[in-house]
Amino acid sequence: MPRTSAAERTPPPVVALLASPLGALVRAVARIRASVHVKLLAGFLLITLLFIAMTAVSLRTVAETARQTNLLDEAHERVGWSRQIEHALAMQMHFTAMALLAQAEDSVSLILRENNRFNDTLARLETAAPPEERALIQVIRGGQEDAMATVADIANAVRDRRLADAMTALQTRQVPTYRRIEEQVSQLVAAEETRMASLRRSIAASHTQSLRLMAGFAVVSVVVALLGGFVISWSFILPVREAHGFLSEVAEGRFGGTIVVPNRDEFGALAERMNWMSRELRRFDDEQRVAAETLRSLNDRLALASRAKSEFLANMSHELRTPLNAILGFTEIMLDELYGEVPPALREPLVDIQINGRHLLRLINDVLDLSKIEAGRLELGVGEYSVQEIVEVAHASLKSLALEKGLAFNLRVAPDIPTAWGDGRRITQCLLNLVGNALKFTRQGRVDIDVHLDGEWLVYRVSDTGIGIPKDEVENIFAEFRQVDTTITREYGGTGLGLSITKRLVEMHGGRIGVESELGKGSTFFFTVPLRTDGGRA
Amino acid sequence: MKDRTVLHIEDNEYNRKIVRQLLSRTTYRLLEAADGEEGLAVAQRELPDLILMDVQLPKLSGLDATRLLRADPRTANIPLVVVTSFALSGDDRRAMDAGASAYLAKPYSPRDLMALIHRFLPDN
Repeated sequence: MPRTSAAERTPPPVVALLASPLGALVRAVARIRASVHVKLLAGFLLITLLFIAMTAVSLRTVAETARQTNLLDEAHERVGWSRQIEHALAMQMHFTAMALLAQAEDSVSLILRENNRFNDTLARLETAAPPEERALIQVIRGGQEDAMATVADIANAVRDRRLADAMTALQTRQVPTYRRIEEQVSQLVAAEETRMASLRRSIAASHTQSLRLMAGFAVVSVVVALLGGFVISWSFILPVREAHGFLSEVAEGRFGGTIVVPNRDEFGALAERMNWMSRELRRFDDEQRVAAETLRSLNDRLALASRAKSEFLANMSHELRTPLNAILGFTEIMLDELYGEVPPALREPLVDIQINGRHLLRLINDVLDLSKIEAGRLELGVGEYSVQEIVEVAHASLKSLALEKGLAFNLRVAPDIPTAWGDGRRITQCLLNLVGNALKFTRQGRVDIDVHLDGEWLVYRVSDTGIGIPKDEVENIFAEFRQVDTTITREYGGTGLGLSITKRLVEMHGGRIGVESELGKGSTFFFTVPLRTDGGRA
Repeated sequence: MKDRTVLHIEDNEYNRKIVRQLLSRTTYRLLEAADGEEGLAVAQRELPDLILMDVQLPKLSGLDATRLLRADPRTANIPLVVVTSFALSGDDRRAMDAGASAYLAKPYSPRDLMALIHRFLPDN
């Protein structure tokens, strides 16, 4: 299939893609029984869904990051509280030592205040702490209660002035308890800090991950959008390309081809219409070819028939001429009195026979000429001829007729005309036809022949003072068998072929013929022929 | 002087009759033939002084007979007038090409025919 022109315009990557499984996908999309409108809508919907999915994913990432940041904040807060606990513990130690040193009972209330702060903060911490830390907090609380009991013992010993006991309690019970609590709180802080560090790492990791996810999503979206666009657009372009090649075939006159597209959409419908059109075109083309063939054979038969007609006419004309020769010959020798004297009463009918015999001869000659011209079998016998001579011949042969009718009959040939080249005898025939007509249709006045040279053209003019030609007949005057009306044929005689033959002969010489006429005043027939003509065929 | 002989080769009886009538009042001796073969035979036997040859003849066409007569040294120089069927059809040129001394278009005027005969065979 000569669909190369379309394929050549396809970029090589597209050709490769169409050869891959993607091409199968393109055809599969084309096969989907849905309108172009729906397919395009689906394509745009796919892109929109991708954007929505991408937005959802990024929202989820933002929410996750916020949650982790929140956890970090909480852990931070807990570390703060732990530090407060440590501080409260240190203050308790400080005030306990103060109470012991100053033996001031009011220090106890300060210790209690610090103890309350410790407990409050610890309670807050316990509420906020993750479950695995609660045990440690319970231990701390237990330690604190021990410490408070020791503080109470110390306070009692101080009030009872048992300083040694107080000191002992402080050193053996209070200090180790506080150290233990301090250690436990430190553990708590350390645990929280570990948690914070892990959260920070986790946030950083999820940040990186979300960036990667977004980038990946973007890349996938672009690829999916490109593929979707490719698949949908090529599912439309493929049938259009097929149609392009198909239409080129049609334009080149090769009908009847079929376009095959997988599409079941508007393009599929279009392809079906095109196939239908192609079949119809093929049918019309075949019909037209058959008609042309019929016409050609008819034409051949017509040409044959025309040839047969011409041959028949030529033969007929010869067969007619032989008896006519006898008729005219006998008439003439009778008139010449070779058979003895002609009685006066017989002379006129003999002359009538002679006149009609000659008329019949002219008719036969004209019919033969025309049939030869129409069959394209008349050739000009070109050679040198003298214009002066042929005009004189024409003048001489018709002089007696003019004389009989009492018409002035003059000729004027320009003296500067050189020897001409053409068929002199045919030109004479033309001139005789025109002059014969002029004499025939003129009752009184004159008939003149005028020949002059106009550049390379010979102009022959035959003017008369005859009956003239009506304007509406001038156009038809050169057609076969045409005389102004049939009464003229009866009155003036003639075949109605003379002008037609003259026109053909002039045209064979490469010239043209024309007439100027005024009804009742006269006519001027003129024809032009090249001074030198190679001669052609009719 | 011996009477001069004219051979008229023509298949149409009436046309032969015209020439017969034309020559009846002259001293020319007339020979007649109705087809090309007979005409050729009479010409070669009698060696006439002038031959009038029609173009369309049965058995052997006038032009072929003319060529044969021109090819025969005995008849090659006898004046020969071909009576053509129609002057404008090209018969005249073919007649001259075949070797005719002159041609006469049919239908001819008996006066023209006599003038032609006198041209080739002047009166004593």
